[in-house]
Amino acid sequence: MTEDDGLPGAEAEELFEDAPCGYLATRLDGTIVRVNRTFEALTGFKRDDLVGTRRFQQLLAPGARIYHETHYAPLLRMQRSVREIALELVRADGSRLPALVNAIVHDETIRTIVFAAADRRSYEQELVAERRREREVAQRLQASLLAGELPEGPAFEIGVAYRPGVRTLDVGGDWYDAFALGDRGTIALVVGDVVGRGVDAAAAMGQVRSALRALASVGDGPGPVLEALDRYAARHRVGRIATVIYAELRPAERELRFACAGHPPPLVFGPEGEAAFAWEGRSLPLDAISRTGGRTDSRLTLPEGGGVVLYSDGVIERRSRPLFEGLDALAAFVATRPQERAAALASAIATALHAPEEGDDACVLVARLRRRPGAADRD
Amino acid sequence: MSALARNNVVEHGPRDAPPMLFAHGFGCDQNMWCHVWPAFAADHRVVLFDQVGSGGSDAAAFDRGRYATLDGYARDVLEICAELELADVIFVGHSVSAMIGALAAAAEPERFARLVLVGPSPRYIDDDGYVGGFRHEDIEALLDSMDSNYLGWSRQMAPVIMGNEDRPELGAELTNSFCRADPEIARHFARVTFLSDNRADLDRVPTRSLVLQCSDDPIAPDAVGEYVVRHLPDATLVHLEATGHCPNLSAPEETVAAIKAFLAR
Repeated sequence: MTEDDGLPGAEAEELFEDAPCGYLATRLDGTIVRVNRTFEALTGFKRDDLVGTRRFQQLLAPGARIYHETHYAPLLRMQRSVREIALELVRADGSRLPALVNAIVHDETIRTIVFAAADRRSYEQELVAERRREREVAQRLQASLLAGELPEGPAFEIGVAYRPGVRTLDVGGDWYDAFALGDRGTIALVVGDVVGRGVDAAAAMGQVRSALRALASVGDGPGPVLEALDRYAARHRVGRIATVIYAELRPAERELRFACAGHPPPLVFGPEGEAAFAWEGRSLPLDAISRTGGRTDSRLTLPEGGGVVLYSDGVIERRSRPLFEGLDALAAFVATRPQERAAALASAIATALHAPEEGDDACVLVARLRRRPGAADRD
Repeated sequence: MSALARNNVVEHGPRDAPPMLFAHGFGCDQNMWCHVWPAFAADHRVVLFDQVGSGGSDAAAFDRGRYATLDGYARDVLEICAELELADVIFVGHSVSAMIGALAAAAEPERFARLVLVGPSPRYIDDDGYVGGFRHEDIEALLDSMDSNYLGWSRQMAPVIMGNEDRPELGAELTNSFCRADPEIARHFARVTFLSDNRADLDRVPTRSLVLQCSDDPIAPDAVGEYVVRHLPDATLVHLEATGHCPNLSAPEETVAAIKAFLAR
């Protein structure tokens, strides 16, 4: 600071010493060469404890020190300035000073300003903690909803898989469900997807899932069950928009009745690797606000020893390719392992075809018929 | 997917010269070598790359399973070597990538001629009778520190940054771009790095190795460098005057000279 700055020396000195931020100058290796009074006040160190004897990074808490070595110092070397970096300093008395730091390299000197940021940091930490808590609640909620036991029987087996997406922190609204209907040996199969993420989506998914369970037991086939679900969703304003496939399997007859509300079509496969999508029984997604109504369903006979795959869009969707390629990939994958047990097949599909980094969750349900003894001879 | 696209591989120097593969550590990207690689480009085929999740790598290639341990990153190194058909590779790895290179050399020793390990550490956390320099709490504190520093990566910013290929020319508006990383992947990489324990792998590395040890390196202290040299079958230790953890940036001349002396031997 000189007279050239247009300020008398003493005034410039005071501006520096009592600036509303800590100021320090260091050599490139961090050795402190100058600090102002504000920095002394912030840290509790006297300048004699620092100048020529300490490096800036030695004033940092351990986590911040690693951050300094791996990010801060390299950045400063490469772009010759850093800004808005959050670091934690350790004061002379051992207490912590959360700070925001800007620095520039000038000749052989690093000029650094330090702002105390304790309030900002604790607010930030509260936000982060809040976010984590919400995520945990949603995950627990979702896990509890997906935890139920799957029905079993001599004529069929059911396997499921669920894989979360990795790019977003929140859980999605995908779900699967399978349960016995009445005593006629009919099994209800469901895969659905409530639009949205987080606690809201998980809660809405839980409501829609429970409603569907209740309605299925008194319903008269998939179409009417989904119509009843429409009425329920509109009356209680849940699930805003959801896609769902609801199917009823009668293993003894190999009969599958299904209705598909805006959901990807079920994949029917046979024991020799034949696999085809069933495009019938389709209607618009569930919409709690504007009633869509008018649900159709369809009926087909599963091949002896074959089965059906229900899944959510995370299995087939990639941003980088058209949807039909995703469907083809699923059919081709299932065709290569038609004999796989239901649980193994569901988990193989989720592992091989789901791209978790795309962000979507993937939900797979496989129901397959067990071959009856001697059945192969009759084919 | 091609490993070359996945890891944003960049080449310099004559194709038929001995290959020299540079691997950056946790924190920034291949620009960490910008003051070092030019010294070798006249008589080496210089190959640079970004670890998945860092720099210009394809973040969509990230997979928690594959990269759950450093072996996944070592596999990437081997895939780059295979795709470029590199033989007798001189591998130069900084920080955690020193160990990644050691793991790659242990898996395919015939692929590598020499290893240059800059600030290696086989384990960062203290253990019974072993001094790594850190405690578990320190690593948690680092993760907190990363949470507070997105370094120019916000959800809005990401697509802009990802679309830009010419990083060195980026202006001040993309500040901190050299250390840009997908925050979730960076957090994962930090965990895998600082919780790794590869001490038992050291004696499986037959390649002739150089360990460059900085003065006052808080990430890889002297005792750690000495441990590495003691346990590698064929390694020499060179102490650098440079302080800190990144001699490739703070003292590139000294770093280059040490590597050249080692290669001349």
